[in-house]
Amino acid sequence: MTQIELRGVQKFFGAVQVIKDLNLKIDDNEFIVLLGQSGCGKTTTLRAIAGLETIDQGDILIDGKPVQHLKAADRDIAMVFQSFSLYPHMSVYENIAFPLRATRKSRSEIDSEVRSVAKTLQISDLLTRKPSALSGGDMQRVAIGRALVRRPKAMLMDEPIGALDAKLREEMRAEIKRLHIKQGSTSIYVTHDQIEAMSLADRIVIMHEGVLQQVGTPDEVYSQPANLFVAQFVGSPVMNVADASVTENASAASVSVGGAATGFEFPRALLSKLNGHAGGQLALGIRPEGVLVRHEAAEGFLPVETQIVEPLGSFDIVDLKVGSKMLRARTRSGFVSGPGERLYARVDPSQAHFFDTASGKSLGVRL
Amino acid sequence: MAHIQLKNISKTFGNHTALSGLDLDIGDGEFFVLLGETGAGKTTTLRIVAGLEKPTEGQVLIDGIDVADWGAAERDVALVLQQYSLYPRYTVRQNLEFPLKPKIRRLPDAEIKDRVARAARTLRIEHLLDRKTDRLSGGEMQRVSIGRAIVRKPRVFLMDEPLSALDAKLREALRTELKNLQMQLGATFLFVTHDQIEAMSMGDKVGVLHHGRIIQTGTPHEIYNNPRNTYVASFVGSPPMNLIDGKLVDDRAVMAPMNFELPISGGARTSGATDGRPLVFGIRPEDVHLESGAPVEAKVHDVENHGVEKIVTLRVGDTMLRATVPARTAVAIEQPVRFAWNPDKVVMFDKASGVSLRHAS
Repeated sequence: MTQIELRGVQKFFGAVQVIKDLNLKIDDNEFIVLLGQSGCGKTTTLRAIAGLETIDQGDILIDGKPVQHLKAADRDIAMVFQSFSLYPHMSVYENIAFPLRATRKSRSEIDSEVRSVAKTLQISDLLTRKPSALSGGDMQRVAIGRALVRRPKAMLMDEPIGALDAKLREEMRAEIKRLHIKQGSTSIYVTHDQIEAMSLADRIVIMHEGVLQQVGTPDEVYSQPANLFVAQFVGSPVMNVADASVTENASAASVSVGGAATGFEFPRALLSKLNGHAGGQLALGIRPEGVLVRHEAAEGFLPVETQIVEPLGSFDIVDLKVGSKMLRARTRSGFVSGPGERLYARVDPSQAHFFDTASGKSLGVRL
Repeated sequence: MAHIQLKNISKTFGNHTALSGLDLDIGDGEFFVLLGETGAGKTTTLRIVAGLEKPTEGQVLIDGIDVADWGAAERDVALVLQQYSLYPRYTVRQNLEFPLKPKIRRLPDAEIKDRVARAARTLRIEHLLDRKTDRLSGGEMQRVSIGRAIVRKPRVFLMDEPLSALDAKLREALRTELKNLQMQLGATFLFVTHDQIEAMSMGDKVGVLHHGRIIQTGTPHEIYNNPRNTYVASFVGSPPMNLIDGKLVDDRAVMAPMNFELPISGGARTSGATDGRPLVFGIRPEDVHLESGAPVEAKVHDVENHGVEKIVTLRVGDTMLRATVPARTAVAIEQPVRFAWNPDKVVMFDKASGVSLRHAS
């Protein structure tokens, strides 16, 4: 049972504030991923929780008790880094057993715990090897084993698979997820890779320039981004964002982008949901799969011309020119033959997002 | 105008054979991508075209003329590398002007000015012209390096992983920019990468290089849908094609380890697909479907969430295979599910050679 809470945490490196008033509550057994670009403060946050970094203001609570004044060793938290940091002169067995040496456990107890962890991580046959004789993936398994064997209150992982090649990364990611389901310990995982975050997390915490942007499940973060930063950070290809003006016509609302003469048709309900923002500085956000295209003209579809087509195997990404703006649409593979083709496009209102361009915040419109 | 042909090119470095029997034909104005892993021989090929490396055997022809005796400068090619090599103390403008300044070019100042302005406009770096290059972001620096190639109006652009050092979002943006640029200039591009997404999305043609040999050349569509062998099948596509050992019995694919069976349609059957012959069945993840009434039972081993869709790894005994499912499909790890495949989309490879039965003749 481990809950972790951050209350009003601030951290400066000299004059630079790297964590700004961070508040976050992590439940027992939860798998939390801190996601952001390099320099966003995610690693500093993780290190602060581990006790490897002091904080300048605020509280860090583990199971309700403030721990910000405790040393790392007294917080009972295990950390796994990108660089494996194994003892090169010790065997895998000794590396895993090492954290238990300081405990008062008997030799046979230690032995059974090392072997059980090794079994979980499928490295039982490597126990006698030296780290130098291991592959990158196996080294990271040993590092995780060494963290797990202590049965810590929480597991903190800082880009643990960032240094591995793509195939191995995928395998290890699956293993980490499965291990978490099996062992069920509170975990905090730092990465800049949004697919990793989406695939591992119960909840994702997105940070940018030391400020928390959004906390939510992978689905929430993807389909209800809180602001423009999150909208464009999560998802690939990136969400289309265009300055938009909203007008009202006889039966519907119309959203025009890139100065195009005709707008995309939206339900009238949009106007009331924009709640007075319709006249202001607005941006329309739509993911490529929310731009619907067809070959024949149809009610509500605007004529557009295709530009570049990117075949990506199972689907294509097609650039469409709308006014002065480019919207990217996701189509089935081979739907468009090439640039310069006439298509008809509309924006699916149920997948559209509206942002205040000044603050970048989502207006929370859902149709 | 530049039509590049490599004929039977081999290159050895000491005992190491970097390239063997390489044939390539790159049409004028074509965007040709050479795709391969580290050590496949991509960069060596590029350097041979550039004239920085002499082939041990074979010919390089530019517009039909053997250029064996031409130096790098005479070949009039521009090289853009992953590591942008800009002069740090110069402004962007000076960096762009530099390749045009040598006396032998004897370009009038007005012409230089015009070319720099045009390159800057094409690459959208006009606002950066008076900035020192050490104050640019990675993406801006790479645009300037490409600009330095453009101003020279070379016959051929050779690009060696120019996007690899950039972060994912920037790579995505520059991919389309580069493709756009190539179309505008109508120039011949030879682009080298290990990233299959870059190859698929930018190339008019893709050549897959493996251990110094070209395995397959074709449009991205051909390479993806009709891979020549299991190497190409597993290298192109993300996630890659599922490859499962088995054999044909009547019109069913019988998988060896677990003996699960799936139907094969007449469309997928090729000559040579005889009953009992050891085969590898290839199926793309988007052609594997989860359905309650489907013939095979599996456990969910892993779920990769892409937002727009999920890639589910299924486990049947020791066999893993992937299926792409819509984002709204609810799947949990270790949940039992049933799956089928699209029997028209199955590609069959010979087990021993790995070559697709469609390509074997």
